[in-house]
Amino acid sequence: MPTSQNPIHVGVLFSETGVTAVVERTQRNAVLIAIEEVNAAGGIDGREVKAIAPDPASDPRRYGEAAAELLDEGVRIIFGCYMSSTRRAVLPLIERRDALLFYPTLYEGFEYSRNCVYSGAAPNQNSLGLADHLTSHIDQRFLCVGSNYVFPYESNRIMRDLLQNRGASIVEERYLPLRPSEEEIASVIALVRKHAPVTIFSTIVGDGVTAFYRAYDNAGFDRSIAPIASLTTGEPELNAMGVSAAEMHITSAPYFSSVDRQESHDFVGRYRARHGADAAISACTEAAYFQVHLFAEAARRTGSEDPKRILAALPTFSFDAPQGAVQVDSRTNHTHLWPRLARVSSRGTFEIIEEARAPVRPDPYMVEPGHDGWDDEAAVQ
Amino acid sequence: MPRVVLRDLRELSVTVVHPADQDGSVVLDQLRRIGCRTEAAWPPPKALPARVDVVFAGITHDHHAALKRMIRRSEPPGPAVIALIDYENPAMLQLVLDLEAVAVISKPVRPFGLLTNLVVARNAWLEQHALTSRIATLEARLSGQKRIAKAKSILMETQGISEKAAYRTIRSQAMSKRVSIDEMAVAIINANELLSSRSDDA
Repeated sequence: MPTSQNPIHVGVLFSETGVTAVVERTQRNAVLIAIEEVNAAGGIDGREVKAIAPDPASDPRRYGEAAAELLDEGVRIIFGCYMSSTRRAVLPLIERRDALLFYPTLYEGFEYSRNCVYSGAAPNQNSLGLADHLTSHIDQRFLCVGSNYVFPYESNRIMRDLLQNRGASIVEERYLPLRPSEEEIASVIALVRKHAPVTIFSTIVGDGVTAFYRAYDNAGFDRSIAPIASLTTGEPELNAMGVSAAEMHITSAPYFSSVDRQESHDFVGRYRARHGADAAISACTEAAYFQVHLFAEAARRTGSEDPKRILAALPTFSFDAPQGAVQVDSRTNHTHLWPRLARVSSRGTFEIIEEARAPVRPDPYMVEPGHDGWDDEAAVQ
Repeated sequence: MPRVVLRDLRELSVTVVHPADQDGSVVLDQLRRIGCRTEAAWPPPKALPARVDVVFAGITHDHHAALKRMIRRSEPPGPAVIALIDYENPAMLQLVLDLEAVAVISKPVRPFGLLTNLVVARNAWLEQHALTSRIATLEARLSGQKRIAKAKSILMETQGISEKAAYRTIRSQAMSKRVSIDEMAVAIINANELLSSRSDDA
């Protein structure tokens, strides 16, 4: 067992309350489980890893304050952030102190910071495969709906380019507040009805997801020809909305808890033993989990928690995560990941319908590359 | 509103003329992340490789003359210049203006902001270039009009014909000699100058 002498303090910044708490709680849980695993395996060269985990309540300003406090206390490593707005609140502070943020959430790309490790999907690791799938299987008309902040705007811009390059058309784009009212949801449903049948690309996040999918369910659109496609609607959202509202809809992500690998079964088993047999796990949860192990391995290899040395060590090894072997890319600080597409089955589980055969290199500055899909990507090493 | 053409960005050929230090490598690495075709050069080479679209140039007093020569020798229309500066005193600013930079990045360079400057600089340069060639076309057309007017008045005076008839004469002469109307007008003006100078001598 590691000693509690000279422990390594790390910050954990996920919201237990607020509009995106449903997902962020799972990320927080996953980080804490991974830290326990690291400690159970002897810590980092005998040093215990100790988490300091305040609740920034889904509010960018609170994220900034909490990060400043952690840094003032001498913390150099922080795991956290879900919405891009919260990452942007934290990152300048981290950069000023030359600390390191591990960010475990898919986002819209076009960013690189020497002080951030991005372990969620970049657009080429989720949007690209989704666009290929949607234009080969489903109606060629799309309606983009999103929450009113940076991720949906840029994700929709990327998706619009990808879909249009594949011969599809976008009939309209609509944005809702993070907490949409019933009337606002109803106005989007009216828009869907006006353009029906039309496939929805949804970048709604947080509590609005449940309201939107349920309203879509009540409106009775035929999902075999007009499903909702998303990058963010995972198991936590699915559990919140119920099977009826979720069935047949499609999500693109590097991980679903239904991934049939031993590492995935082990992770899901340990998570649910702790948080209940129905506990929801999404790609964001899994990324939060494996990035702690990436950090621990890098710290062991360098014998240090110094952010610069951690960063230098990260690209030198791969880790067998629940989704498959993952590795940090030295050029972009993003991570090689395994894109997957899943459809919600009648049992309320994500049934994987497509998956990459090799990990895909992150390309955060992707522009439509005249690309034929995931299979062309070179494998890691 | 011009749309950001990202695909075009990855086609750009960029040369970073900067010492191989921390700032230079931040610029190079970020351009490679963005996916531009990027090369480094220092000290400023005599000439740029063919068809460089954008130059990130480290501004120093020592190398300013060489840098300016390099830009001036590049194939027209020349690259968009983005200046990398570590002081903003008037002497330094003079160098920035002298290079006709379309964007400026301050040191220490951070990856954030390079993409924006690249897009804005490229766009400003394209617009400037489009305006310059439009002005050149208009100027050529304007002086052509002036020459034709002069040629017409010469014919009207020497042959006692109307403006319309003068123009018809120029046009039919141009057609039969297979030259442009402008060239015909120049020929008439030259011939007239020659004839009137003889009559002066006499």
